[in-house]
Amino acid sequence: MSLTPLALRNVLRTPASLRPLLLQSPRACYHSYEHTQPPPYRDADAAILSSALTYVPAQGFTQEALTLGAKDAGYLDISTNLFPKGAFELVKYHLVTQRLGLKDRIQFPDEKMGVGRKVRSLVLERLRANADTGVVNRWQEALALMSLAENIPTSLRELSALSDEIWFLAGDVSVDTSWYTKRASLSGIYAATEIYQTTDQSTDFKDTEQFLDRRLEELRVMGGAVGNTLEWVGFQGGALVNLMRSKGVRI
Amino acid sequence: MAFLLPRTTALPSLPLKARLTPLAFQLQTRTRNANSNAHRTLISSAASPATEPEPESLHTPQPTRRQPLSAAQKLYLDKALRVNQAGELAATLIYTAQTPPLTKAHPHLRPLMQHMYDQEAGHFKTFNALLAKHRIRPTAMYPLWQAAATVLGWTTGAMGREAAMACTEAVETEIGEHYNGQVRELLAWMADMERKGEEVGEELRLLVGEMRRIRDEELEHLDHAVQNDAKAANPYELLTGVIRTGCRGAIWVSEKV
Repeated sequence: MSLTPLALRNVLRTPASLRPLLLQSPRACYHSYEHTQPPPYRDADAAILSSALTYVPAQGFTQEALTLGAKDAGYLDISTNLFPKGAFELVKYHLVTQRLGLKDRIQFPDEKMGVGRKVRSLVLERLRANADTGVVNRWQEALALMSLAENIPTSLRELSALSDEIWFLAGDVSVDTSWYTKRASLSGIYAATEIYQTTDQSTDFKDTEQFLDRRLEELRVMGGAVGNTLEWVGFQGGALVNLMRSKGVRI
Repeated sequence: MAFLLPRTTALPSLPLKARLTPLAFQLQTRTRNANSNAHRTLISSAASPATEPEPESLHTPQPTRRQPLSAAQKLYLDKALRVNQAGELAATLIYTAQTPPLTKAHPHLRPLMQHMYDQEAGHFKTFNALLAKHRIRPTAMYPLWQAAATVLGWTTGAMGREAAMACTEAVETEIGEHYNGQVRELLAWMADMERKGEEVGEELRLLVGEMRRIRDEELEHLDHAVQNDAKAANPYELLTGVIRTGCRGAIWVSEKV
């Protein structure tokens, strides 16, 4: 749905709290295979934000980058009023487009690769995307914007959406409690690795790769320890019940 | 001098300043109406499956849908499948916990319990696959339901054959009504799509087919339980009342959380 000048005026005249109602996007809960998801941004917004991203290496995640992007895309300076949160909307655009583009950047033809190895590849690919789009040098600004109080809910939502996307693309099919623990732990690991990447000066981000490997190893060891302990407790409980049954207790 | 007399009618309460533009006012009323309509989706239905509508598209392979499902429909499917998976988890754990004490006291029940468990395990596998495929999150109360179902199965198994069968009867009655409601809702969608001339799509058609099969098997378990003297359980009303209320509460919580 392209934005005519009249529709843009209607959007700008609606109070900011009601603008989401004009742009009803369904919450991504039930993923249908018969239909592709509608694009997350309308054409005009996407045009402004994508051209603004090209100015980020020079200007950083700032209102200036948005203004230059709007002018570049052929809109007036005032069009940046479409983005009431200013530079944070630019950060969010980068996060959303990189998350949705992850499945196109990497495919797994080799079926023998385990889920853990695929998760590692996906995380590295997503981090490489930060470098490829040129925002990695300015990412500390983005992290600062994401940590502002009014932006924290959106940032956390994006992080958990990315974690869910990575596990889905890695072929994880577990739908028990581990669904939550896997996503929570991967969110933590990804956030830590992304922060580390902003300080990484090595060639090809080799230090970041090793950082990620250490975190994944810790996760594997911790998860294994917890799982083994629970299994031991289960065996002890089962043995106690069987012992009592063998003594004739009717349970 | 009329303003000195006491008022007999209430003053109309107008806002001092109209803060909303006409468009904004329309949007607000539209969402308010949409929110009040949202409560009308079917959660459970005690009506017999024989009176269900049978749209033609249920039995003919469908071309791909051109229209995406609405946000409300996706939300309904999300909640419904989450609750169904939680229900099947509970069922498998109840049978796993009931079987040892029950078959020790009544060895002739072993084939029946095995058959019912196998069917529930199949349902559980089906819903696990559906949740993973459609990226629906499982209920966060998963470990709590694991514990509750194990305790329920264990206590009713220890209480005796009639109590175990009464537990099965209560759970299957609730689950059966719940599946009935869901099947009716989905069939209503299909009838609506046929009326509008939209394609129903293979995804929805196969989903409805699967749910009807599972619903039929659950009602078959209900019949088995009643045949095996479920109604002869000693605190029958109390037991089935408590279990049915617990099931309804669990369904309500799993939809939200």
